[in-house]
Amino acid sequence: MPGNFTHGKKTNAAAEAATGTIGGAAAEDTAAKAEEAVTKLVSDIRSENEEVRTQAWLKAAHVGASAVGPLAELMAQPDIKVARAAKHGLWRLVRNVGCPGCGNEKNAVAAELIRLLGDNRRLPAVKREVLWMLSEIGGDESVRPIAAILSNPELREDARMALQRIPGKKSLVALEAALKNVPAGFRPNIAQSLRQRGAKVRGLPCVKLKPTKKTAVKPPTDGP
Amino acid sequence: MVHRAADKFHKTEKKGYAFMNKRRQLNRRQFLAAAGAAVSVPYLIRPGVLAAAGRSGANERLTIGMIGVGGMGRGHLKNMIRFREAGEVNIAAVCDVDEQRLARAVEIAGRGVLPYCDYRYILERKDIDAVLIATPDHWHAVQCVHACEAGKHVFVEKPTSVTIEEGRAMVVAAKRYKRVVQVGSQARSAKPAHDACTYIRNGMIGRVRKVTCWHRCPPRGHDSGPDTPPPTHLDWDMWLGPMRWRPHNKAYYHGKFRQIMDSGGGMIRDRGAHVFSLIRWCLNADSQAPVTVEAKGTPPTRGIYDCPVEMEVVYTFRNPDWQVTWAQPGDRYTNYPDKNNDFGLVFRGDKDNLIVDRDGTRYEAAPKAKSFKVHSGGVEVYRADKYEDYNMNHKLDWFGAIKTGAKPCMDVEAGHGAATMCILGNLSYLLGRKLQWDAKTQRVIGDEHANRLLAKPQRHPYHL
Repeated sequence: MPGNFTHGKKTNAAAEAATGTIGGAAAEDTAAKAEEAVTKLVSDIRSENEEVRTQAWLKAAHVGASAVGPLAELMAQPDIKVARAAKHGLWRLVRNVGCPGCGNEKNAVAAELIRLLGDNRRLPAVKREVLWMLSEIGGDESVRPIAAILSNPELREDARMALQRIPGKKSLVALEAALKNVPAGFRPNIAQSLRQRGAKVRGLPCVKLKPTKKTAVKPPTDGP
Repeated sequence: MVHRAADKFHKTEKKGYAFMNKRRQLNRRQFLAAAGAAVSVPYLIRPGVLAAAGRSGANERLTIGMIGVGGMGRGHLKNMIRFREAGEVNIAAVCDVDEQRLARAVEIAGRGVLPYCDYRYILERKDIDAVLIATPDHWHAVQCVHACEAGKHVFVEKPTSVTIEEGRAMVVAAKRYKRVVQVGSQARSAKPAHDACTYIRNGMIGRVRKVTCWHRCPPRGHDSGPDTPPPTHLDWDMWLGPMRWRPHNKAYYHGKFRQIMDSGGGMIRDRGAHVFSLIRWCLNADSQAPVTVEAKGTPPTRGIYDCPVEMEVVYTFRNPDWQVTWAQPGDRYTNYPDKNNDFGLVFRGDKDNLIVDRDGTRYEAAPKAKSFKVHSGGVEVYRADKYEDYNMNHKLDWFGAIKTGAKPCMDVEAGHGAATMCILGNLSYLLGRKLQWDAKTQRVIGDEHANRLLAKPQRHPYHL
């Protein structure tokens, strides 16, 4: 098969620098290499050449946590080719650090993603992707920043789903708290997540089987 | 030896069915009584439905609702019209979130058929016995589970589901509500595939240790253009359903959803669902699951599609030991080199090989399997065979299972087994690593990230 791409576990200089597993002059050197790798990644993703762009986002998996912010920046670019390539690249990175044994890299990337969530300059479309990324690799440390987004009408549904997916007691407690705090119209959504997590919810019956949408199409008056 | 408990029924199926049992008759009467007072539901008591129910012999018909009537759904509707003409079914309702498609379907289906854009109206109707679901993949599980909960039998398009959690929920719902769920992997009702199955199960190629599949690659990229507001005839919220919200783009739907991982899952979840069903049937391996799955592939280079262009997935099975390789493009083996066959597979036995491939809509087995006759005491394999069209036979098998309570030939548990292979193949591709699968717990061994992806939170209120 031409051009196979696999991206499993691979510790690289950038990741080591980001996670502080090396020190002194070696750390400085590693940090410089990481910066260089990010600069090249950004430059290649901006390329007009489709092949260069594609190769760049495929390799983003190995650039490490320092690429998270620059890739998020590119995701907001008006040129949709660049924005999409950056999004693909960031997903690639997240999926790579989720592998077994990549705990330090995963934590470093998750920390950068959490930082993006709290950055008011970021577009909702970018934050929506970040929420789903955290739903895959986020742990307890992600819960409070995600729960804070439940007050944002544009993003709260994605935040709710991210909390539902993050295992552990902390996310469950956050959903239980949200049931009391979110606007009444959003409580059924929270109740859905709580039920999915195995909790009992009273006073908010499940509405999944209740039809709501009408059609303007009329039944035929003749025919077979 | 005949591989089906309902063989006795099979022998009499050409005489037709008596579908309406006591419970269903009561349901219909209850429905009619309730409908008289149902002034708030505009089309509920249209004369067409009442007339159909009152026709001679109508009480022996299965009453059907169609959910999703574009693409494959349109083909299913045409099948149902043939069954209606043959006196087997009534068509009571059609549903689609695209009003243009809905209007076309209702015109084809004719008088007495009520249109809906929300399938839950169909589930509320007590007169409807069963539904055919031909929506994009991301809707299959939710609609199937809801239909079972509402007491409907289900025919659901393949792949069975897009996540492991969904597939498990479908199996549980079918059992809990005692509904017959047939999955639309219709190769199990196709004569050439049946020939191959009979040939293999009678030991003609010996013990099969390897199966290699090939499939043409999808385009390397496309120009999808920017996101836009949805057209007025399309209910975008309803099209997305359980899937996370995203802005409308015309490259996402109507025959194009296949190349999006969330909604379509690429060629492996489309044709792979057919091929894996066929392999598992031929090898009598519906209860087996792979123990390892390893995928690699190349993504599209432009546009919004995210499913692989080239792909190779290796599945290993234990006790007995065998292996399946799914490959795009892979090595193309065909029985008919002059035809433009899309995909196929080679069963590699220790005595011989056997090719099964597909030209457009037709499966083809190697001539030696076609001409094979089962010897006395050999293995007979069940297949509904009243019609030339295997799509009709696959539905006939479903009707028969509803009548007898036997398992249909591609019941939801078998469907979940085939879909599991598709889902794990894509998961390994997305994560870029080999997965070790524990079929008993339905979990990936030692990979917390992968296990999170076995389920996907669903948008309110479109959930399991």
